[in-house]
Amino acid sequence: MVQRTNAIKWFFLLPCLGYLAIMAIFPLGWSLSLSLTKWLGTIMAKPEWTGLTNYRDILFKDLRFWQDLWFTVRFVCLAVLLELGIGLGMAHVLHTKFRGQSFFRVLFLIPMACPPIAVAFLWKMMLHPDIGVINSALELIGLSKVKWTTSVLVAPFTIVMVDVWEWTPFMLLAILAALQALPVEIYEAAAVDGASKFQMFRKITLPLITPIIVTIVLIRIIDAFKLFELVFGITSAGPANATEALSYYVYLTGIKWFDLGKGAAMSWIFLLIVLGISSLLLSRFRSRIAR
Amino acid sequence: MEMQRIQLSTLKRKRRIEMGIQKRAPAGWVVFWFIIGVFTIWTIFPIFWALITSFKFTGDAYDPTFIPWVQFKPTLQGWRFIFITAGERTFRSLKNSIIIAFFSSAIVLLLGALAGYSLARFVFHGWKNKDIAVWILSNRMFPPVAVIIPYFLIMRTLRLLDNPLSIIMAHTVLNLPLAVWLMLDFFRDVPKDLEEAAFIDGCSHIGAFFRIALPLAAPGLVAVYVLSFIFSWNEFIFVLVLGFNKAMTIPITIAGALTTKGLEFWKVACMSLIGIIPVVVLATFVSKFLIRGLTLGAIKE
Repeated sequence: MVQRTNAIKWFFLLPCLGYLAIMAIFPLGWSLSLSLTKWLGTIMAKPEWTGLTNYRDILFKDLRFWQDLWFTVRFVCLAVLLELGIGLGMAHVLHTKFRGQSFFRVLFLIPMACPPIAVAFLWKMMLHPDIGVINSALELIGLSKVKWTTSVLVAPFTIVMVDVWEWTPFMLLAILAALQALPVEIYEAAAVDGASKFQMFRKITLPLITPIIVTIVLIRIIDAFKLFELVFGITSAGPANATEALSYYVYLTGIKWFDLGKGAAMSWIFLLIVLGISSLLLSRFRSRIAR
Repeated sequence: MEMQRIQLSTLKRKRRIEMGIQKRAPAGWVVFWFIIGVFTIWTIFPIFWALITSFKFTGDAYDPTFIPWVQFKPTLQGWRFIFITAGERTFRSLKNSIIIAFFSSAIVLLLGALAGYSLARFVFHGWKNKDIAVWILSNRMFPPVAVIIPYFLIMRTLRLLDNPLSIIMAHTVLNLPLAVWLMLDFFRDVPKDLEEAAFIDGCSHIGAFFRIALPLAAPGLVAVYVLSFIFSWNEFIFVLVLGFNKAMTIPITIAGALTTKGLEFWKVACMSLIGIIPVVVLATFVSKFLIRGLTLGAIKE
């Protein structure tokens, strides 16, 4: 019986593990071995072993890589911070009884359900410096036009703004769900003891929802690091590479310029950064499983 | 028993919401609705604007006018272009989007349900359940660009470039970890007793899985399928690299709408709406599960 159970449990699990091994582990391994070679796909038939040269070139000679990393990090910090702040505030506003709450909860799902590339192009259209609706509206009320996508100074913030549009509702709804799952009894007790609204928030709500907030912030940070569609659609990484995200540079190097070795090395550096952050999140998820 | 639990929990929830009733002064309600109003306009405006623009003539598309018939003359020119003049391209990408999302989600569901059940019901030794589950989840974390170079080379070797099959394979990897994780959660909530009773009656493990556990987890199965469908429909990078022409999907067509000639906003608006409307409709059907899915099961609504 025990042996049969043993066979059965692997029978159920192996298709999934096998699939991931073939489609995730094998490609990553291949990319690791590629990253130790020089292979300009357009002119070289075969990769040529060069050891750690690619990594040395990227880390010590490639200024563009560091600029892109710096942009990506700034983008992630600012966007996630704004999303958290607005989301937390709005969740508190919505956390009361009023007619139509469930309607708004469905309505606010729209931005995160949309294809990111559609979001990018809708905003590109609205933010067009000459004929976009936002600049026309600004002019109408007597303000000057803003070079949303063509100014080196403004464009990075434009990307942040669109990301905030797309993902603030996620923060809002996740935090709202967490708030509504809190036990009422504590609040009743606190009210009996004469605690003020602010005290309740500081001493009860915040400690109770902090673990959930840490989890969703980590999820957002990891997802925000993968920024690609918004940059591709809104600015095409311009002007003057001011909005070039790391994933866009990997895409350019590996796929557009066909520098497969360097692209693979860069994607591994990128992967290690993201996995470093992910390990924080994964350890939180690990403790949720009993065995 | 189950019914009672559900009723109790909704009662509790009602009470919770009622506890939140704040005795607001009328001025408080004004501020409340003002904040909600501003946030709603901010959230909905881009979609609304796309809808308006899609019914405009090229010349009107750049004016900040909102009311059809009053401020501008509406036209079906844009929609006619998308579905008739450029119809072949539109329908090809629609067909690809549906095929790819349909099949990749089906594979995801099958493999995910099997693995989730295994991790929820059996005890693994050595490589423990939590290690396996977390390893599977870690596959969701890596950025897609980390694997596009090897994927491109693999699919080129297999002669699968620009073939929907290669994208189905890629999207399956993308959604499988989440499916396993959510199914694991769903199966843990399904009581074990029924399956144990079935074993006593001589039912096999596989029989118990298909006849008892799966039907009981049906709402979860639907949710996982729809979520994975949405994520596959929206995915851009893999399609960009693996399926540029014959296998292109709606996101690629959207990206192509502006690069041709000039700034035909109505075209972008129509194409974007074709991409947006189906997934938004699906999302409202599984609205309860969308947050759960996006937080990898950390938050249950």
